[in-house]
Amino acid sequence: MTTVAPRTRAAALALPTRGRPADTLAGLGAMVRFVVRRNRVRLAVWLVVLVGLFAYVGAYYKSLFTTQQALDDFAKVSDTPGIRALTGLAAAPNTLGGAVWTKVWMTCALALAFGVVFLVTRNGRADEEVGRTELLRSRELGLHAYPAASWLVCAVLSVLVGALIAVVSAASGLDPYGTGITGSLIVGASVTGVGLVGLGVGAVAGQVASTSRGANALGSAVLGVLYVMRMVGDLGDGRLTWASPVGWGQEMQPWGADRWWPFGLLVVLTVVLLALATVLEAHRDHGAGLMPQRPGPAGAPVRYATPLGLGLRLQRGPVVGWSVTVVLCGLLFGSVVHAMDNLLNDAGTPLPAILRGRGIDALMAVLAGMIALIVAVYAVQSATTLRADEASGLVETQLAGALSRWRWALQRLLIPAVGGAVLLAAGGALLGASYGATVHDGSWTGRMAVASLVYWPAVMVLVGVAVALFGWLPRVAIALTWGLLAALWFVMLIGDALHLPRWVLDVLPFSATPYMPLDPMRWTPVVVMTAVAALLVWVGVDRFARRDVVPG
Amino acid sequence: MSSNAMAVEIEGLTKSFGNVHALRGLDLTVPAGQVTGFLGPNGSGKTTTIRILLGLLRSDGGRATVLGGDPWADAVRLHRSIAYVPGDVTLWHNLTGGEAIDILCRLSGPLDPRRKQQMLDRFELDPTKKARTYSKGNRQKVALVAALASDAELLLLDEPTSGLDPIMETAFTESIAEVKAQGRSVLLSSHIFAEVEKLADTVTIIRNGVTVETGSIAQLRQRLRTQVTAVLAGGSAALAAVDGVHDLVQVDGQTRFTVDEESLPAVLAQVARLQPRSLVANPPSLEELFLRHYGEELAAVNGADSNGRNGAQK
Repeated sequence: MTTVAPRTRAAALALPTRGRPADTLAGLGAMVRFVVRRNRVRLAVWLVVLVGLFAYVGAYYKSLFTTQQALDDFAKVSDTPGIRALTGLAAAPNTLGGAVWTKVWMTCALALAFGVVFLVTRNGRADEEVGRTELLRSRELGLHAYPAASWLVCAVLSVLVGALIAVVSAASGLDPYGTGITGSLIVGASVTGVGLVGLGVGAVAGQVASTSRGANALGSAVLGVLYVMRMVGDLGDGRLTWASPVGWGQEMQPWGADRWWPFGLLVVLTVVLLALATVLEAHRDHGAGLMPQRPGPAGAPVRYATPLGLGLRLQRGPVVGWSVTVVLCGLLFGSVVHAMDNLLNDAGTPLPAILRGRGIDALMAVLAGMIALIVAVYAVQSATTLRADEASGLVETQLAGALSRWRWALQRLLIPAVGGAVLLAAGGALLGASYGATVHDGSWTGRMAVASLVYWPAVMVLVGVAVALFGWLPRVAIALTWGLLAALWFVMLIGDALHLPRWVLDVLPFSATPYMPLDPMRWTPVVVMTAVAALLVWVGVDRFARRDVVPG
Repeated sequence: MSSNAMAVEIEGLTKSFGNVHALRGLDLTVPAGQVTGFLGPNGSGKTTTIRILLGLLRSDGGRATVLGGDPWADAVRLHRSIAYVPGDVTLWHNLTGGEAIDILCRLSGPLDPRRKQQMLDRFELDPTKKARTYSKGNRQKVALVAALASDAELLLLDEPTSGLDPIMETAFTESIAEVKAQGRSVLLSSHIFAEVEKLADTVTIIRNGVTVETGSIAQLRQRLRTQVTAVLAGGSAALAAVDGVHDLVQVDGQTRFTVDEESLPAVLAQVARLQPRSLVANPPSLEELFLRHYGEELAAVNGADSNGRNGAQK
């Protein structure tokens, strides 16, 4: 030691804090095996469901559309504002592949992107938050090895989903005769590309947010914005579609323009996002996010001692976030309706005045339903916090005070119930006002507020399902609730392709709701659904009041 | 309320989770105005018992009375007079410690800001930090401050000092002594024997969900032997024949043995005749009782196991 020159020694001392730690990927192989082992069921489910969905619809359409005439007819009925908005319209809608694309591409691509965001959070920020990563990092493990392993596994999942979709597509003969399998390859690559962007978004979100809930919320919000951007673009002049990576995936146009280069854009964006996440991780402390912790108040206001007051404080972030989302969507949706209407006119669609009015009504009804879907996610998320608080042990701390379980649960449910109603009315009103302003017709505000508010019983049925599951099956309640919501979403999107009986589709909460302003108000479904929601809540809370408190 | 000579009375309490029997007929009493120690190894059912007393779990059988009421049916009313410190404190990540204390206090009754400040000072807790940044010890302090700032009639403390440093343990001891002086009752679950010996009037020891020992510290000590270590110039052979001497061994020139309490005078007289050069006598500790009890149980279990194996081999 005495032979070491002072300068060298100073440098050696400075190195560990200044320089880049060595071997940041040490232990990558072990971590890859760990991530696969820990997520094998999830990975398998995503893969099988997404590929299976594509294969199913492909086979079904192949048997359904046996003539070109049938495909041409289908393309015509598909070209509605609603379909353009929700799923996008295929570049070649009158090909077999195009028909399948219109039906399932958006669902597959977005579901993969969301799934990857959740997987990245689960193996990243969530583990870091609860201290599992700390235990791993105390071993011979490089700084980036664990996240890199999780990214690698998610990237492989995206590639596998895309590759299998391409295989399934080619095998079911979705490519028109004489075009080879280019369209099939492009459709697979486009799903992979959107999944990879989800990976990049999830990785960055996991560095920016300091909690797993925050990371999932941020990642989902970004994907939601990208989806809405392409939706507005598809309804309008298409510029916003090109601003959204989801739109790049669409614009690869399998069986249409058959473009490869947007896939390059998607991959480059993914690499940039992953690089950004790596840099962020290298420059922060373990457990920290970008936002530093500030001291807070030393005492709490009296209202925090009520479940409602405390719930509002704890859900402040989500409540504000969802409110902003609903307001923006309302304004955005409303602003494109007029342009859409003009587009229909420019295209020379020979619609009589009365029919054109119906066209606007139909579009507005779709948009009101979209707002209701967003509010439903907010309300269900808020309702699942009942179980989340029980699982984390927070509810015990409160119930050890002089607080009954009924009071706790019912006050907490005011947040999705009242919040949902307010958001529905506000979103609908803004949608109507924003469209009304372009056509100088103020009456749209009230009309759309009602058209959107009429979804409240449907939203509350979903909340009721979440509460009933919380009461009766607490350990699996959250997973089942989201699973059911996803299943509902699937059935709504592709229900007709599943051969489900008509009455099953009609009885689903969202389908049962009067489709205003296109359809007139009907009170029966609204009253029945309100009663069902109340019953479900009662069944769930009553069970919770009688059972053991079960920490997760 | 005058009938409540017992703050907590439990008789034959049972509770199962699926086919795991957490409690199999537990008995426990907490006399009003006293501190009752509640000892048992990990997984013996201490936390389950406390959670039943809080009405968070419903017992399968037996009887439990808290402050004269039913802990399940009267939970809300009873909780106005109960303060609880869990063994593993979960707090709201994005709220500060001070906010959490206010919420917990107000859920049971009005907040006394003066008492809160006094306890914050005593436990040296910074109430402006977000709960996410607290260490385990600091989270424990939040729950302790909230419980001790109240004037609850009964304190249910589940390993309340886990994660606390020795200075804070002293602050805790001081606080419990104050609580007792005010005539309030405490159920103190712990496996720190020194703490229980210092604070508790009575002790209940449980194992596998059953009460195995209960009584005052003095009573329990009587059942134990004093440990004696001596250097005897006269040799130790003469001791072996004396009544009340057990476990006699010779190690490095030292003589070690244990003595029943009632034989102590006679044994010490005999020791004096053997010209002791040094003599150390340790009073029986709760830890010894605990270890002895579980040691014996363990030996019995092992014995049964080896018998079983032998039987299987035949």
